[in-house]
Amino acid sequence: MFEKHLLVCGATGCLSSGSKKVTEVLEKELADRGIKDKYRIVMSGCPGFCEVGPIIVVYPDEVFYCRLSPEDIPNIVEQHFINGEIVEKHLFKDPKTKEVSRFYDEIPFYSKQQFNVLRNSGKINPESIDEYIMRGGYRALNRALKMKSEEIVEEVKTAGLRGRGGAGFPAGLKWKFTLQAPGEKKYIVCNADEGDPGAFMDRSILEGDPHAIIEGMLIAGLAIGSDEGYIYCRAEYPLAIKRLEIAMARAEEYGLLGENILGSGYNFKLNIKEGAGAFVCGEETALLASIEGKRGVPRPRPPFPAQKGLWDLPTCINNVETFANVPLVLRLGAEEYGKIGTENSKGTKVFALAGKVNNTGLVEVPMGITIREIVYDVGGGIQKNRPFKAVQIGGPSGGCLPEDKLDLPVDYDSLTQAGAIMGSGGMIVTDEFTCMVDLARFFLSFTQNESCGKCTPCREGTKRMLEILDRITEGQGEEKDLETLEDLATTIKDSALCGLGQTCPNPVLTTMRYFRHEYEEHILEGFCRSGICKDLFTYTIDQEACNGCRACTRVCAVDAISGEKKEPHSIDQELCTKCGSCVEKCRQDAIKITRVGREADVRG
Amino acid sequence: MERFLDPCCSECTHTGDNPCSQFVECCVEGPLCHESEECKKKRKAVMDRVAVDAKFVIH
Repeated sequence: MFEKHLLVCGATGCLSSGSKKVTEVLEKELADRGIKDKYRIVMSGCPGFCEVGPIIVVYPDEVFYCRLSPEDIPNIVEQHFINGEIVEKHLFKDPKTKEVSRFYDEIPFYSKQQFNVLRNSGKINPESIDEYIMRGGYRALNRALKMKSEEIVEEVKTAGLRGRGGAGFPAGLKWKFTLQAPGEKKYIVCNADEGDPGAFMDRSILEGDPHAIIEGMLIAGLAIGSDEGYIYCRAEYPLAIKRLEIAMARAEEYGLLGENILGSGYNFKLNIKEGAGAFVCGEETALLASIEGKRGVPRPRPPFPAQKGLWDLPTCINNVETFANVPLVLRLGAEEYGKIGTENSKGTKVFALAGKVNNTGLVEVPMGITIREIVYDVGGGIQKNRPFKAVQIGGPSGGCLPEDKLDLPVDYDSLTQAGAIMGSGGMIVTDEFTCMVDLARFFLSFTQNESCGKCTPCREGTKRMLEILDRITEGQGEEKDLETLEDLATTIKDSALCGLGQTCPNPVLTTMRYFRHEYEEHILEGFCRSGICKDLFTYTIDQEACNGCRACTRVCAVDAISGEKKEPHSIDQELCTKCGSCVEKCRQDAIKITRVGREADVRG
Repeated sequence: MERFLDPCCSECTHTGDNPCSQFVECCVEGPLCHESEECKKKRKAVMDRVAVDAKFVIH
């Protein structure tokens, strides 16, 4: 028995923050002291709080150390492991209240979260099938093997599980269509292409709990009568692919995958297909074409994949998070599962919370929680106590919702009514220094770049929209541009071939709906009040507010700021690159965003 | 018995090629096909080695 279990976050986020080096130093430190055998070190999946990584969670002491660097480890070993005294300076400290939290139950970031899909991530060794089994794994499969296909389908339908990939189509209904489709050979496909910029929900599930996906796919295979499945995973997720390969090998070794699963006579073969970098291959028909070895472009539907999918055979394709929910539905039962969430949006949703919040990371919350609770209770509010401006939900397919929508419940129907979508789970919070025109332009430039080119509305329409947005952000916009943008957007939505084209105008449409004044200000007044569109503002130092502390001069990379100590400073506009570093550093709030050629208009 | 796949004794017949239908349940709750305190202890040892806290194992 080990004295302590040290769970080091080994997910991609913390790895890039240096958690591997932290682990190496930890191993060496324990070995040097001759106590390595008493401690179990595990590179776990993502515990969610990416803002404060690298993270080590110590059990059974229940201590959550964060923001660690290799230099911190010797002291933690000495003070905590040897002398039994928790090292308080490495615990989480709330930036606003300064309160120190020892473990998950005290950390505000986790307060309103509910770990269903992420139940094992950060808690187990993701490469251990034994640990997955100990945590209830494969019991749902056990139950499903004793049920008829129709019974499994009915259970998932009754549970109200909706697809988590973006569209929210009822999973049980999709399974029912595929089950009813004629033919003996059918496929199960897991969409692990996760292309939305900044989204990492699926990556975290695959890295932290790969067996959940395997079990979910096995159950889906039993439901529709399939003996073969594919996991289509983007090649940019090498750790996820590695974990899946290990999990598949272990599952086969244990008799839980392959031939005669658990002696039931049920066979299921699982394959991994790596993507090749195309966002459009997250669209189901393009994904299937890619598996078939063809160019990843979508095709018209109907027929839907449930009738005619992979190699023209009935195929059920679901998202990673959808499959991760399936074992829970079968293990808990539809009624118990349905107790979480709202009437039409059952269960939880995983979000990648990013942007101008204090607590960024991976969050799992019950459906029906409000945007306000996510931003302020989970996210810890806006950085530097600035006012909330908008939240962008749903990635490049989603929309921006303003402050008066903060109390909107996060569920499929409420978001759709407000003009946004749930999407796959990207959630970006903005403040006054985010230009909504530029934000819309960013997402459109992404989807325009990723357009497969097959249909004219998307291929040409997005290009024309982007040209207009580029002109607007460069100060060349015209009044008629707004009407043209709306016309193009609605035409593309109505006529594009696939979901990429049909949804890519959403960021533009919602920002125009809720932030039209910013578009008008850019076009009619040549002003970007957020200080983002460089041709549409200047930085000016308020001579009354500036106290000459010189904090700004120290960070100006081009020496554009001059002034004597304790005297108001000024900015040379010829040199200023508008990088914004001085604004971030100024403690007096003296640097203002101003119209080009005019005095200070708004607060910096 | 280092892991659940290892047989607890000669009574256990589960292998990847010849799987037992009760394998999954037996890992945590077993042995199921025979009575043996020793075999129960072996399973507990596998679990105790990696269970990080009292709530880790789900029965």
